[in-house]
Amino acid sequence: MPREVVSTGNQLAAKAAIDAGCKFFGGYPITPSSEVAHEMSKLLPKVGGVFIQMEDEIAGISVALGASMSGVKSMTNTSGPGISLKSEQIGLAFMAEVPLVITNVMRGGPSTGLPTRPQQGDILQALAPTHGDYQSITLCAGSLEECYTETVRAFNLAERFMTPVFVLLDETLGHMVGKAVLPDIEEVERNIINRRVYEGDPLKYEPYNVPADEPAILNPFFKGYRYHITGLHHGPTGFPTEDAKLSQELIDRLFNKILAHKDEIESYEEFMLDDADIMIIAYGSVSLAVKEAIRELRKEGIKVGLFRPITLWPSPEEKIDELCNKFDKILVTEMNKGQYFKEIQRASGKKANEFETLFKANGRPISPAEIKAKIKEMV
Amino acid sequence: MRKQLRFTGVGGQGVLLAGEILARAYVSAGKYGIQVGTYTSQVRGGPTKVDIILDDEPILYPYAVDGEIDFMLSVADKSYQLFKDGVKEGGIIVYEPNLVYPSDDDKARWKMFPIEVITIAKEKVGNVITQSVVALAIATRMNNIDKELVYEAMIKTVPSKAVEINKKAFELGYQEAEEVLSKYTS
Repeated sequence: MPREVVSTGNQLAAKAAIDAGCKFFGGYPITPSSEVAHEMSKLLPKVGGVFIQMEDEIAGISVALGASMSGVKSMTNTSGPGISLKSEQIGLAFMAEVPLVITNVMRGGPSTGLPTRPQQGDILQALAPTHGDYQSITLCAGSLEECYTETVRAFNLAERFMTPVFVLLDETLGHMVGKAVLPDIEEVERNIINRRVYEGDPLKYEPYNVPADEPAILNPFFKGYRYHITGLHHGPTGFPTEDAKLSQELIDRLFNKILAHKDEIESYEEFMLDDADIMIIAYGSVSLAVKEAIRELRKEGIKVGLFRPITLWPSPEEKIDELCNKFDKILVTEMNKGQYFKEIQRASGKKANEFETLFKANGRPISPAEIKAKIKEMV
Repeated sequence: MRKQLRFTGVGGQGVLLAGEILARAYVSAGKYGIQVGTYTSQVRGGPTKVDIILDDEPILYPYAVDGEIDFMLSVADKSYQLFKDGVKEGGIIVYEPNLVYPSDDDKARWKMFPIEVITIAKEKVGNVITQSVVALAIATRMNNIDKELVYEAMIKTVPSKAVEINKKAFELGYQEAEEVLSKYTS
């Protein structure tokens, strides 16, 4: 049975982690994400899990990665400044193929920015949080329900693709309290994905010797299967290599294992687009204001719809292309200076001046009234 | 029908709780309630507002709309001055008269009710921390929200060891609102 709860987005992200099978949390508190950690500290001991508040963000992700290498579903949580600190270890997770869920409750940036206010300033950071070449998976919750469902999905994708997965919330979603209807727990449990385990001869175990579009198969440590984990380019057993072919194949595979399976990752919402004359593109908490604006504009006879990417990276580029070339009038609105707008232009092949934009980066939410005013200029 | 409420104070006064209880009360009745707070990075003393939207229909955007707010309760002057213009013409403002200083113009523009929210919590209830529930009860009465519904949600939400003192806070707050209202209408 679906479960009705009254909760904040941050609490729902924690609840989702537990329901998805998370047994370890390592992190360091930071506004506006701290309630995720608070909640995990209450919930994890009840399911036999471990919660550790470390001395800083770097140590937080480090222990979370260690737990994951031991075969445990693991999580760290922070806000933008914390991602900056964690970035070196995020790189290790991409390179060594260690699954990890990283929730980022976005606040105003750059630097310490506006700690208590919402912004969507970390969209490009989530695409490229660290140096080198790799493919990010980034999910963005657009409602209280999705703080739950996208966190569950992040755990499943992390295990499926052996990679860190980002879940983006923002201060508004993280802190707002309201009703959410969560999926049936049995349905959640039925769809849980656990990482693959090699069960053959331990002497023949080569965790990174996998097809060109599949993730590594990393057995939990301490179970009799020897291998090496490193941030250096590595060969089949995980030991460092400088072999040109192996290096290229490794980096290619970090992309291919995700891009060849985009159908398993892609997610978006089309809201009232069928008969619309104007399309708005928005994601995250901004889409709440957009939907409210659409509801009111339609009462006035102005037909507007919303396209909302839920998986931001890899982007639903074919869908963006199709829709942007179907609609003449498009408004892109983000709580930043247009970070996803760049991707929309790239995917659609349209130029910046073919769109209308509404961007705000002062830590204040974009209101339905602002969106309505902008749409009325476009009619 | 949509009701938009705003509680304002300074950081550390615990006004978030009242909003959460109202939202829970509405949801328990099969309706919709959303609360969202806005605060500053000052640990204590920064202006804080909590918006509460209550509706029979689903609510998406969680913030109250400036100029459409039906009810505001304020226990700090700096927040009062910062947020009062969000209240619609003729809307209700409850203020702590020892801490908030409305002008004569304000009194002409809105229905103003001085209630010593903090004094009631501190002296009559016996614990300043109950001011949030005193405020909750006042908001309940002033907005004609079902008393039993909010009372039940309050009991379920506050920590179990604080239920009794908060029951007292709720009753006293409700009575006080009743009293100022009867004076206003007579």
